[in-house]
Amino acid sequence: MVQTIRNFFIALRQIAVGDKRYYVWVAFLSFLMLLGASAYIGQLNRGLIITAMRDQVSWGLYISNFTFLVGVAAAAVLLVIPAYLYHFKPIKEIVLFGELLAISAISMCILFIMVDMGQPLRVWHILPVIGAMNFPASLLAWDVVVLNGYLAINTCIAFYVLYRLSIGKDYKMSVIGPLIILSIPWAVSIHTVTAFLYNGLPARPFWNASILAPRFLASAFCSGPALMIVLFQIIRKLSEVEIDNKAIFKIAELIAYAMGINLFLLGAEVFKEFYSGSIHSEPIKYLYFGLHGHNNLVPWTWFATVLNISAFFLFLFPKTRENFTTLNMACAAVITGVYIEKGMGLIIPGFIPDTLGEIYEYTPTMQEILVTVGIWATGALLYTFLLKLAIPVYTGKLRFFSKAQAVAAHDIMSRRMVSVLPDTPVDDLAKLLVSKHLSDAAVVDDTNKLIGTVSETDIISLEVGQSTGKKTSDIMTPPTAVIAEDTRIQELGKVLADRKMNHLFVINKDSQPVGMISASDILKALENIRQE
Amino acid sequence: MKKDEKTNKGIDRRKFLQGAALGLAGIALPLDKADASFWEAFFQKHFREMNEVEINKVISRLEREYEAKYNKAIKVGHEKAMPGVLFGYGLDLSRCIGCRRCVYGCVEENNQSLDPQIHWITVLRFKKGEKWVDLENAEKYYNPDKVPQDEYFYMPVQCQQCENPPCVRACPTQATWKDPDGIVVVDYNWCIGCRYCMAACPYGARRFNWGKPNRPVEKINPNTHYLGNRPRYKGVVEKCTFCVQRVRHEPGRYPACVEACPVGARKFGNLLDPNSEIRYLIQHKRVFRLKEDLNTNPKFYYFFAYGK
Repeated sequence: MVQTIRNFFIALRQIAVGDKRYYVWVAFLSFLMLLGASAYIGQLNRGLIITAMRDQVSWGLYISNFTFLVGVAAAAVLLVIPAYLYHFKPIKEIVLFGELLAISAISMCILFIMVDMGQPLRVWHILPVIGAMNFPASLLAWDVVVLNGYLAINTCIAFYVLYRLSIGKDYKMSVIGPLIILSIPWAVSIHTVTAFLYNGLPARPFWNASILAPRFLASAFCSGPALMIVLFQIIRKLSEVEIDNKAIFKIAELIAYAMGINLFLLGAEVFKEFYSGSIHSEPIKYLYFGLHGHNNLVPWTWFATVLNISAFFLFLFPKTRENFTTLNMACAAVITGVYIEKGMGLIIPGFIPDTLGEIYEYTPTMQEILVTVGIWATGALLYTFLLKLAIPVYTGKLRFFSKAQAVAAHDIMSRRMVSVLPDTPVDDLAKLLVSKHLSDAAVVDDTNKLIGTVSETDIISLEVGQSTGKKTSDIMTPPTAVIAEDTRIQELGKVLADRKMNHLFVINKDSQPVGMISASDILKALENIRQE
Repeated sequence: MKKDEKTNKGIDRRKFLQGAALGLAGIALPLDKADASFWEAFFQKHFREMNEVEINKVISRLEREYEAKYNKAIKVGHEKAMPGVLFGYGLDLSRCIGCRRCVYGCVEENNQSLDPQIHWITVLRFKKGEKWVDLENAEKYYNPDKVPQDEYFYMPVQCQQCENPPCVRACPTQATWKDPDGIVVVDYNWCIGCRYCMAACPYGARRFNWGKPNRPVEKINPNTHYLGNRPRYKGVVEKCTFCVQRVRHEPGRYPACVEACPVGARKFGNLLDPNSEIRYLIQHKRVFRLKEDLNTNPKFYYFFAYGK
């Protein structure tokens, strides 16, 4: 318990203390969060009427952001799969940062759902047992289950790995292996269920396409990893974490394939809609060309299309993908392109025209944008804090207080020892050592203070017969093989090795000898800690 | 450098405190406005999980709240569905003149917010001689000096009370359900305002209280039902209930829109009664239902009593 509290404060201190750049960044994000919070308070007071959403377009910017971020969160698996299943080492080392990103992204998803709710205080109604969760009928209930489950799985994995590293140990695959395996289908499930949320509504022909879930996954595997490539470069620049270029280029290569599939699936959808030309293709007409003079989304749609296609080629060719200028351009293009395509470009046409044919053009209000910015800032701050803690743990700079570290000399020393006064005859000393099966003795003054040590070799180095009449003080050496009783186990080994000794005398703070410690004592203790 | 850091931290802390204060104010707001019954309302159970005693307790609390707010006694009923009844609706498109009296008759009866304005019925106008019931080309905001106009026909749309309602399936909290008499109702005290039901409804029948509902006291209809026309809250969904407060309270009474229609285009009755008017017209007229291909199985039948 004490240990936990102590570690909590170590973690808190690590997050709270940083350099000037860090404070400026945190202050900047806090400022944005504050803007968002004040806009949200306005929304709480006046209702969702401060947004541009209305009965015709009943979901808007919030749900668009939610959808995009589910994809970012799901994309963490793209890193997990090669890292753990194929032991691709360069990626394995950075999976942790991907998982922390997933945690931040899911937290933002939950916030976006919360701010979209008309009665946020009643959120508990959605829970099983205490609420009345409509499971399995409602896809939204499914989404609650899979998103929270995903958050829990990733939190467990990331924090277990961090904890093990923080106490100076490697993590055990036997513990997190099953969780990692579980996280792969689970990541697919969060995005599939989110797609089904829209896909399962026959009222909305634009969403009611079975290609939606595969499209969601493909676009998620573009935007998520692209965001990670950008973040990894920042992490690498601002910290001592080394991220292999090989890992970054491998991720970039994977984005190329994902974007190829994404464009293919989108093309298939566009073909079906326009070629069949039923009245169900009105929404996609609105999206690409506008409908009856309403064309708010048209420039955005084409902008996203151009970005996605050009990014695809930049990622496809090794030459542009392995050049950081073009790589970063491609990442920015993919993030923006997918954000538009899968955010507003997916949600809004679901409602335009509405089920009775009305066209209500939706453009988010300033308050809506501020709340959205506030949530992004919250996510960024959470990720910043997580990294601030994880990076020094990962590089070995930050170590938590643990039992292993707490083990000191007096815990593992042997209390069997002899101490003699300096005027003890050498012959008596020899007899004493033989009878006690000991090789060394401590020499103390009359206040029991250590003034020297004597070893068997000191005695046997005297020629036979010469020992008679000699006192311990004649052959003792000054106390060099001595160590304080509260010396930590990590240091003990070093001292022994440095001084090339087999034994050390342990003294208390009054310089009185209290025991002896041998190399085998230390070895045994280290083995015990390892087994724990 | 050190000094800079310090001022920076100072600003940060001040900002943080401001934020915290604002945040607390935000949380405190609902508490501030509500009296002791806030927590009672907060912990209120799902309507269908309450027993009669609990329901009566909730209803007397609601009546107290409404009386305090409107300074007028408002009766909140909770009549259950009658056995052997399944409500059905008929709308004669050959008669409808597009006057929207049903829309306002509904608003008068059902205590919708007047500002922002909420209507449960939408009347669509179609040009004659073009695609028939072509929703993509329907007009909602037509405003001529006089109706009917020769070149148009009209089609009112409201909740179709589906036998297979997509909205009920969508709701994550079971805040909306279909009662045994076929009426799809909403528990306004359980709805979390996620609006998934609105995305799921193929008929645009559901309305959301985007702002605080406003209605002057003198316009409040005091005869209400828990699942029907009692005053609603900001942030919850509402919809047509076939005037559940009328049709369950006085069996045989018509919904307000049926009464308001000047041309008798609206019919209402018990689908399980073979002698009802609704059964007669289903059997003898050319009826159709909106968006049959979605298999929602509405209990709202459109028909043509005579050709023209």
